[in-house]
Amino acid sequence: MKIVQTRRISQIFFFILFVWFCIVSTVGEKFQQIRGWPINWFLQLDPLAAIGTALTTHTLYRGLLWALATICLTIIFGRFFCGWVCPFGSLHHFTGYLGNRKKPAAQKIRLNKYRKAQCIKYIVLVFVLAMAAFPSIAVTLQTGLLDPLPLITRSFNLVLLPIFDIASAAERFYEGAWLILAIFLTAVLLNLVIPRFYCRFICPLGALFGVLGRFAIWRIGQNQSGCGHCKLCEKSCEGGCEPDGNIRISECVLCLNCRDDCEKEIISYQRQLSLAGEITGPDISRRGFVLSLAGGVFAVPAVRLSNKLGSNWYHKVIRPPGALAEEEFLSRCIKCGQCMRICPTNVIQPAGIDGGLENLWTPVLNNRIGSSGCQLNCTACGQVCPTSAIRPITLSEKLGIGEFAEAGPIRLGTAFVDRNRCLPWAMDKPCIVCQENCPVSPKAIYTQECFNTVRDGFLTVRKATDKRIETVETLVPGRFATGDYYCTNEGGERLKIVANTENLLELTKGEKFWKIPGEGGKIEVQVRLQRPFIDIEKCIGCGVCEHECPVIGKRAIRVFAEGETRSADRRLLLKS
Amino acid sequence: MSKENDVKFDRREFISRVSKAGISVAAAGTAAYLLYDGKGPGPSTGDKKLVTLPDFSVPRRDGQTISIVTGPDRVKTVNKAIELLGGIERFVRPGETVAIKPNIAFASPPMLGATANPELVAEVVRLCYRGGAKKVYVTDNPINDPASCFTLSGIGKAASEAGAEIIMPKDGLFKNTTLAGGRLIKNWPIFCGPFETVQRLIGISPVKDHHRAGASMAMKNWYGLLGGRRNIFHQDINTIIAELAILVRPTLVILDGTSVMMTNGPTGGSVSDLKQANTLIASCDMVAADSYGCGLLGRQVLDLPYLAKAEKAGAGTTNYETLKPKIATVS
Amino acid sequence: MASAGHRVKSPETVISVGLLVILFLIGAGIFVKQSDFDMGRFGIVTVPAGLPLQQAEAEEEEKPALSSLASEGFEPFSKTEFYKPENLYEKINGKAPFYIESGFEELSAQRFVNKNDQSLWMEVYVYNMGGVRNAFSVYSVQRRAEAEPFEPMRFAYKTSNALYFVHGKYYIELVGSAESEEMLKAIAEVARKIRAKLAVDYDTEIAELSLFPQENLVSDSMKLYLANAFGFEGLSNTFTARYRIADVTVTAFLSRRADSNEAEAVAESYRKFLIQNGAVRKNTSQKTMEGKVMDFYGTTEIVLSVGSFVAGVHEAENQEAAEKVAEILINKLNSANGNE
Repeated sequence: MKIVQTRRISQIFFFILFVWFCIVSTVGEKFQQIRGWPINWFLQLDPLAAIGTALTTHTLYRGLLWALATICLTIIFGRFFCGWVCPFGSLHHFTGYLGNRKKPAAQKIRLNKYRKAQCIKYIVLVFVLAMAAFPSIAVTLQTGLLDPLPLITRSFNLVLLPIFDIASAAERFYEGAWLILAIFLTAVLLNLVIPRFYCRFICPLGALFGVLGRFAIWRIGQNQSGCGHCKLCEKSCEGGCEPDGNIRISECVLCLNCRDDCEKEIISYQRQLSLAGEITGPDISRRGFVLSLAGGVFAVPAVRLSNKLGSNWYHKVIRPPGALAEEEFLSRCIKCGQCMRICPTNVIQPAGIDGGLENLWTPVLNNRIGSSGCQLNCTACGQVCPTSAIRPITLSEKLGIGEFAEAGPIRLGTAFVDRNRCLPWAMDKPCIVCQENCPVSPKAIYTQECFNTVRDGFLTVRKATDKRIETVETLVPGRFATGDYYCTNEGGERLKIVANTENLLELTKGEKFWKIPGEGGKIEVQVRLQRPFIDIEKCIGCGVCEHECPVIGKRAIRVFAEGETRSADRRLLLKS
Repeated sequence: MSKENDVKFDRREFISRVSKAGISVAAAGTAAYLLYDGKGPGPSTGDKKLVTLPDFSVPRRDGQTISIVTGPDRVKTVNKAIELLGGIERFVRPGETVAIKPNIAFASPPMLGATANPELVAEVVRLCYRGGAKKVYVTDNPINDPASCFTLSGIGKAASEAGAEIIMPKDGLFKNTTLAGGRLIKNWPIFCGPFETVQRLIGISPVKDHHRAGASMAMKNWYGLLGGRRNIFHQDINTIIAELAILVRPTLVILDGTSVMMTNGPTGGSVSDLKQANTLIASCDMVAADSYGCGLLGRQVLDLPYLAKAEKAGAGTTNYETLKPKIATVS
Repeated sequence: MASAGHRVKSPETVISVGLLVILFLIGAGIFVKQSDFDMGRFGIVTVPAGLPLQQAEAEEEEKPALSSLASEGFEPFSKTEFYKPENLYEKINGKAPFYIESGFEELSAQRFVNKNDQSLWMEVYVYNMGGVRNAFSVYSVQRRAEAEPFEPMRFAYKTSNALYFVHGKYYIELVGSAESEEMLKAIAEVARKIRAKLAVDYDTEIAELSLFPQENLVSDSMKLYLANAFGFEGLSNTFTARYRIADVTVTAFLSRRADSNEAEAVAESYRKFLIQNGAVRKNTSQKTMEGKVMDFYGTTEIVLSVGSFVAGVHEAENQEAAEKVAEILINKLNSANGNE
């Protein structure tokens, strides 16, 4: 059995596994739902996430220990991950193959030449690690932007799978998905220009593997002299490492195509260095290294000049329950999008840059999207976060019960009634949808009753009995029959109206005015309004009210991040 | 897979590479072992280092805890007040460093009495140097913009001319602190940088009416040490003042009632808000100082709930008579 | 990409196969991992009806360990299921409100199947009703017409394929898949096992049962309505029992109130209610029942208060029988009141 065949099987295996993990990322017990599927395994194997969070938090969180296996295997064997495992790499490999297979050999060889630009990925690597490495200046974790595993996870979870979901009942929506798609498509389509474009030029994870694989015990090389420089080995070379001649080991992704293609069987995966010579290290000069290091280090305070982490924080950044305080959050979030995918109500969305550049693709809640705001009895997001940017909280901690009763529930923010848009506040229209839907007990929305005379509600009596009042003015038939309208007399008594015709108001059975108005008397039709108030000591900011509010454009009740429990400095109230 | 027929296998290079690989693997493993965190981060931002302020107070001397001196000239009254409590030698040893925390809350001219009097601050600086202090710092975390506060209040210039070094508030000088048993000061940023290396701490504040707290005197002066969005504590002003009195244990407080802001405090704004009471209090017990000082405002201890709270928490006594205050007059 | 001249040697094949084995093991490991899960981590999830729901908080009291109750030759199949008021309807659908109104706290359900014959299986429903009275109420109100007493248990009856009984605060139903002797024997065994675990003093818990005079009483006909007896809101906590006098069936009822004032108030408002709905006062020879006897569309109703009890007769076929039963009931209650 040929080894390249095994490699292809391995690539297919891991790609299918990756797609399957994306498919099952939904809460439920069925085989095709999350159950115990280790959907984070690829992200946990990713050493860039592990090293990045190790730098920003000085800890290696739980499942990220898998990255140690990847690192050790890379140290021993070289960049096997790129050629055999990485699903993004396999995608590039396949696209490149499709796009270039019909080309003549000479052109293919040209396409696979080593290019100086392949050092860019090392610059990217140094840059993102520098941003994470110096806490005395400032740190942020931005490896997730170009790290292929979060990138492909994002693209599948937030764009590709939802596109195909459209046929099913469970439509998912993600804001800003166009950008994620654009980046994904660009990366994939660039393979038609140069095969494995992303892997060779951009991928910081590949760069990291290139560095780690320096001392690999086995490497590709020529095991005997006699090479005729036919360059057949470079026809299908995936890494652009030029095995004919001085092979650039840090670029080799162990596709083993060169070994397969060499008709003289000179190229092998061997313990000794290539007889034709080897260039081991990455092609980055000391100056390049220093510049990208400095760039990364100073990029962070530069970005933070906007003070979005201080008093200029953006109040619409509502993070999922269990999220850490902002600075710590940004030093852990790898922007993988798992939390957005698993959220059963589809309320977690990838953020834009409104809250700062570091906010891009981090999870924020948008209560207008999805089925209901943050469901009260759900802790799914924290369970799938690979780096604990969102902690895996228990339901007790989220609801503030049991041992967490003293700490109280986790608040995501606070709802604010917009009295200029709210129906009972501004439009004299009864509505208590928000209060009805508030899921906490006792409710965080309470109402105060108020009676307002309606427009055209000042009426003159023609004739009145204790049950009916005939009016001089013409009324819209049935308008006051909804049960919300009351009739008051000059003495200030108030009775409910049960029906009305053009000239008649019928009052509720069994009750009557003490002072029945006489002819020419004045009555008023009033609407009974229940005006909502927020009890900010009880509101947990779940957003169900915002979601249900019938003023569906700019909602009349909206949640903002003030009062979120994760940030001590954003409290609305002193805790009592 | 390897054909090693043509050239000799370079054993040395191989072994060197293998050992480097082995060391790398070991290093990676060790790093993983040391950094491994199976639990994950906890709920609050309480991971930061927590700091408490040291106790700067001097040992009690019976009958020399509080002194009250009347007179129109601050320089003279403050010298007398400190002399009555045992002189500057009791409070500052030669070679020590001193931090003075005056009330520099507002960018307000000295004559409006909203901030500590610059001449008074300068005199205390000079006193400390006379007592042998190696270095005297003058610092505060004002409400308005710090640079303008230090300048317009006159304290910046006066203190520098007297030889003190000004310390302006900076992010790095704040550290999260929790008061043991405190309800409000829990993991809250406190301006403590300037006080971490000094041996003595002196507070200087004028007697002022305060709209929210009732009065702003020696105890309210420590509100300046609160960082972050500290106005949230106005919701429970009396508790925060009491907790500050436990957190901060100064060497001495000087309560300047020479020109008292009777109304419209704490900012005042009109000279008509002021009344000449010509009284200056020096005290090792800030609760006692404030308890006496409220009389200058025409108020009683009961009018200021924070006094009782602080007394109950053990920060001092409201019954200043029991401390046998030393009284004097200087013309 | 296949090269013409490349011969595959056995080391290459061995390594290839070895790597494929590793891939297979990874796949197997993941497959094993997916079955080991705890849905409780995700909070409460939407579970298809019939699957177990994880409890979010620990219960202080022990839940009945149902799987150990299997009778001889039977073994549990399916996990024990637990239902709370909010999802009870997933198990018993429209009946759920009835239980919930009667104080339902939790249902534990377990199926057992015969090891030799898969078609023979039973399901055990253990309703924790929160109290003996509640359990008795749901037991008695749902009693099937074709019930036979299940000796020697009190408060138990059997039908052709099932057994129903009260056990402390639990109401238990054992339902079999077949109407066979073997099935009933197995069910009885389970019931005895349950019964053996707990002894309850029903007489003090359900004291009112002894207040019904034994004469002419139809055995095991007593029911407890926790609320809305006979459709009237004021008649909560009402016991009924059937009497048979010369081929005429009469239902007697009684309800203990807080004191005699309340008893009279409830009796009066029930009488008013009946009259509002069309009942007509009837003359009676019994002095004690004057004004309390009514004709309600052909049946006789007698409503009066005796001390702190509301008592009487409901839907009696004729007045004479009704008055007879009412009389002995009144006497019994009077002597009971005297003993208090």
